[in-house]
Amino acid sequence: MTKWFRRHRELATAGVFLLPNFAGFLLLTAFPVGLSLYMSFTNWSLKKTVPLEFVGFDNYLSLLADGKFWFYFYNTAYFMLGIPFAVFGSLVAANLLVHDLLIKKVSRRLQTAFVLALTGVITCGWLFLAGSPDWALLLALLYLAAFFGVLFGSNTYRTMMYIPNFASGVATIILWVQVFNPHYGLANGILDALFGFFGLHPELPTWLTSTRNLLGFLPLPNLFSNGGFGLGAREAIMIMTFWMAIGGNNMILYIASIANIPQSLYEAAEIDGAGAVAKFIHITVPSVAATTFFISVMAVIGGIQGGFDTARIMTLGGPAGTTTTLSYYIFTAGFEELRLGYASAVSWIMFVIIFILTLLNWKYGNRQNEYQ
Amino acid sequence: MNIRHSNWWRAVQLLLRFFIVTFISAVMFVPFLWMLCSAFKGPGEIEGMSFWPEVFHPKNLLIVLRLCQDPFSEQYLQVQLLRYILNSIFVASWVTVLQVTTSSMAAYAFSRIVWPGRNQVFLLYLATMMIPGLVLTIPVFQIMVSLNLVNSFTGLILPGACSAFGTFMLRQFMLGIPLSYDEAARIDGAGHFQIFTEIILPQAKPGIITLAIFTFLSSYRNLMWPLIMVKSDCLRTVPIGLLSFMGDKGGRVELLLAATVICIIPLILIFVICQKKLISGINLGGGVKG
Repeated sequence: MTKWFRRHRELATAGVFLLPNFAGFLLLTAFPVGLSLYMSFTNWSLKKTVPLEFVGFDNYLSLLADGKFWFYFYNTAYFMLGIPFAVFGSLVAANLLVHDLLIKKVSRRLQTAFVLALTGVITCGWLFLAGSPDWALLLALLYLAAFFGVLFGSNTYRTMMYIPNFASGVATIILWVQVFNPHYGLANGILDALFGFFGLHPELPTWLTSTRNLLGFLPLPNLFSNGGFGLGAREAIMIMTFWMAIGGNNMILYIASIANIPQSLYEAAEIDGAGAVAKFIHITVPSVAATTFFISVMAVIGGIQGGFDTARIMTLGGPAGTTTTLSYYIFTAGFEELRLGYASAVSWIMFVIIFILTLLNWKYGNRQNEYQ
Repeated sequence: MNIRHSNWWRAVQLLLRFFIVTFISAVMFVPFLWMLCSAFKGPGEIEGMSFWPEVFHPKNLLIVLRLCQDPFSEQYLQVQLLRYILNSIFVASWVTVLQVTTSSMAAYAFSRIVWPGRNQVFLLYLATMMIPGLVLTIPVFQIMVSLNLVNSFTGLILPGACSAFGTFMLRQFMLGIPLSYDEAARIDGAGHFQIFTEIILPQAKPGIITLAIFTFLSSYRNLMWPLIMVKSDCLRTVPIGLLSFMGDKGGRVELLLAATVICIIPLILIFVICQKKLISGINLGGGVKG
């Protein structure tokens, strides 16, 4: 026994180090995967009265024939249309924030900040006393951002832009439900003020209760229940997601990536007379292609699985199912309709989609590395 | 002349850039500003579409925290926000500690100990990383039912206790630590356990901190799992507590927003205080993932 132990000592040590994780892995990952795959071929239900039966491919066939599944798939894809905008927004923001934006002399920095603070207090105070406290408040926010920006440079803005992402969660989503409230929400408040400035009073969108969407002009089949062209629940969610995503992890990754571009490339372009936009398009964008690729793949994989929190909190999947994504469908089918077998089948279809995309990523991603 | 012109142009560009980023970040903060102002409004005043409340009601915050009665219904609110916050912190801390411990130990076994079948087992780990969490939700729930862990803290914590991703991330990180450190320690007579605690863990600290932050945040934010698992009020975490408050606020939007203020403002402060560490952690996480 001791002889055996000595010979397999490394294996035994490895076993001790691995045991807690591997036990959990077996119980909470490997076994559930197998269970889920098996159960997707049964009529597994949370109702005690339904006996468990093996039904073969019935779940898969019925879900592929189910119009609802395709509609929710379309919804998921619709939300993913926002990804390119968010990724591009992050790139633009990163490009603006990659330098430190500081005044070189510290004394000059302090002077500028002081002047800013003084003018800020005077203008906002005057506005406040003159009877428009709202404008004073908004202007104060602007002055405050500029004040800290002068003092701490682009770090201030990186922090401010990252905060929506960091604080994201149920509380922030609930905040946006209130923002999109058609009666008292901030969104319609701003639109009203904007249109009012031009003397217009058009009908404002009802956001989270509206089935209108930006693709409403397309001649889609009835199944996709278009509410016509306009801003609706989907757009509301996309605006919120854009707000959360633009300054998030992607921006941070882009900043690191842009900072690694050799300065000589930009200098060479300047000698050739390239402007800021030309430099951005012809140097920055191609140089960060690897990062863009990584971010896009992660965003697409996340997007297919996404939309649960927003659907549950903001709309309960409505109106008319327009904001139900695949992940929310799995939740409702499994835990509200109690059809766990069917929900498992949906989740495996989702896995197949992700698997195909990951394969494409491997093929395409490796080719990209060859260029570098 | 040309150089002076270009210097002047550069200053204008810098100033323009400065104005643009100031404007964008201020605009992104407007929803928070609106939340903060609305949280202090009186009942019904939110319909007025203004930022600045006519009269400040700082009591709103106390009402939401159940530190004083709601003067209009003369009752304490049903929602126990402080309790939810403590629950959330409790669950997220346990998940973080367990996951970091199990992941770092497994990562050590995968990166520092040579044993037969190591690569095959690691490949198995990698393969499961591609499986969406939603596939696992339903069977893990069933396992929790059969273990009788539904509606308990253990049931909330256990599924997060070990993760293939954490193991993968820390393994990549540990592979970057030079092997010569181990060899030197081994010559001095250190065993695997000592090498792990005294050499690898301190060296892997940035990676471990990154994993800890991501784990804590995602556990703190998680909505679906507590929604499925928790039935009784005393186990509620912040996400489902807020969700149920949204359901039965009875038109008191300012109280709901006061609750969101209490949940969001500490997060903002934490981020502003430790942003340097967090941002370098994000870069690290992204770099390892890539």
